Amino acid sequence: MAQLPDGRALPGKLFIVEGIDGSGKSTQLDLLSKWLIGQGYCVAFSEWNSSPLVKATTKKGKKKQMLSPSSFSLIHAADFADRLERQILPALKAGAIVLADRYIYTAFGRDVARGVAPEWVRKVYAFAIKPTVAFYFRVPLEESLRRILGGRPQLKYYEAGMDIGLSDDPYESFALFQGRILEEYDKMVDEFGLTVIDATLPLVKQQELVREIITPLLTGALRVEPSAWREVLAAESVYGRYLDEVLPERSAP
Amino acid sequence: MTKIAFYGEGLAGFSRTKPLPGRLLVLEGTDGVGRSTQIALLREWVESKGYAVQSTGMKRSDLAGKGIKEAMRGHTLGNLTQNLFYATDMVDRLEKVIIPALRAGFVVLTDRYVYSIMARAIVRGVDPGWIRDVFGFALVPDLILYLQADLPHLIPRVLNARGFDYWESGMDVLPSRDYYEAFVEYQTRLLAQFEAMSEEYNFHRIDATRSIREVFQTLTQEIDAVLADMKPVSLEKATQELAEARADEETEKDKQRVKQSA
Repeated sequence: MAQLPDGRALPGKLFIVEGIDGSGKSTQLDLLSKWLIGQGYCVAFSEWNSSPLVKATTKKGKKKQMLSPSSFSLIHAADFADRLERQILPALKAGAIVLADRYIYTAFGRDVARGVAPEWVRKVYAFAIKPTVAFYFRVPLEESLRRILGGRPQLKYYEAGMDIGLSDDPYESFALFQGRILEEYDKMVDEFGLTVIDATLPLVKQQELVREIITPLLTGALRVEPSAWREVLAAESVYGRYLDEVLPERSAP
Repeated sequence: MTKIAFYGEGLAGFSRTKPLPGRLLVLEGTDGVGRSTQIALLREWVESKGYAVQSTGMKRSDLAGKGIKEAMRGHTLGNLTQNLFYATDMVDRLEKVIIPALRAGFVVLTDRYVYSIMARAIVRGVDPGWIRDVFGFALVPDLILYLQADLPHLIPRVLNARGFDYWESGMDVLPSRDYYEAFVEYQTRLLAQFEAMSEEYNFHRIDATRSIREVFQTLTQEIDAVLADMKPVSLEKATQELAEARADEETEKDKQRVKQSA
């Protein structure tokens, strides 16, 4: 059950995925989303660092390397608050399923790895809704590094944790930074009751596990009537070629 | 600073071993109470006593100032988001402007500090404990001057300046669509919050219903007491120290950038 900080239950279901870069969590969430929509559920989606009011400031801060551990933490909290106030909470109140790619645990992991006080960042996010299930895709550091660094990508300054000066080499810095975040995640498993999924298992197997866990929790979740537009038009021998322009892709059956 | 203290956990990476010889002076009070006028007067007066002065205020950070203003132009900015945006602005100015200036020996005059943000948050129904926790990174100032005036004094000044503002009238939270009614209700609640905070945070209350000259004289007496044990640092020397500290930081960043692109 998704819960407000004061313990009151919300009618909707909040499923979130967490894990270090390269854990495959976004892929799993995407598969889950498609499956739920296919089942006729009303699904809302929220992604870390995507608030239309806040993300331009975050982007500027990253690009110009203006962010300190504290301002990095607060601007991400502002972004999260906006998505919570305008996307996540209303959808949950309406009884929908909300899927979030990264949640407060990402902030706890990264910000603490940057040296921010663990108690403070937890207090900052005290307004967050407790997820129905928080999945943590656990992957050994070496495996995630192999997945991410295999193609020798250009790592961004903050992504690599260059701001905290762990190493002058971006790849080495990234590895050390991810290692620290991984440690934080492992500490959070018990603290927040994260549901651990072994992210080294085959994709299909992981998805099966996820679906098994959430299936019994879906009772009462809001459903949308599958789009009947095309049927209406078919009776008139019209295909409805303009519908694709107005119907969101996700709601197409 | 006479004493380095934070309201909570403090700032990540803050070095307590390096001294902060400057002074942090805060002017607080609601809209229209005359803060900016007094800051302009005080700035010149403090400088004339031989000190270097750095002035700052809300929404002036390089990082978030523009973003907040843009977000406030619309009507979609929620309560928590706005407070965290303000907190980002505050922490950026604290780390990039206030603390470096205090290290270099400036007298820092700030037009509002965390108290305004907390008061407006609490009036909007935000959990008072939460907003205090968020500002656990804030330095405790050397002096908080609270300019206090009642509504009959505030209203003509606000009208005379720029009129009733959407946010300063609490139009985002109050049911009334009438600017005057909303302003009166909102400012009354805000004043009550400042009142409630004044003891907890050791505000020095200044009766701002008096003339500009009288208010100014009271303010200078208060500030004199805080500057009594501080040796003046010339603007040239303080500016130079600040520039050197910034240059060191830039060199450090450049080194990293070079290595990163290598």
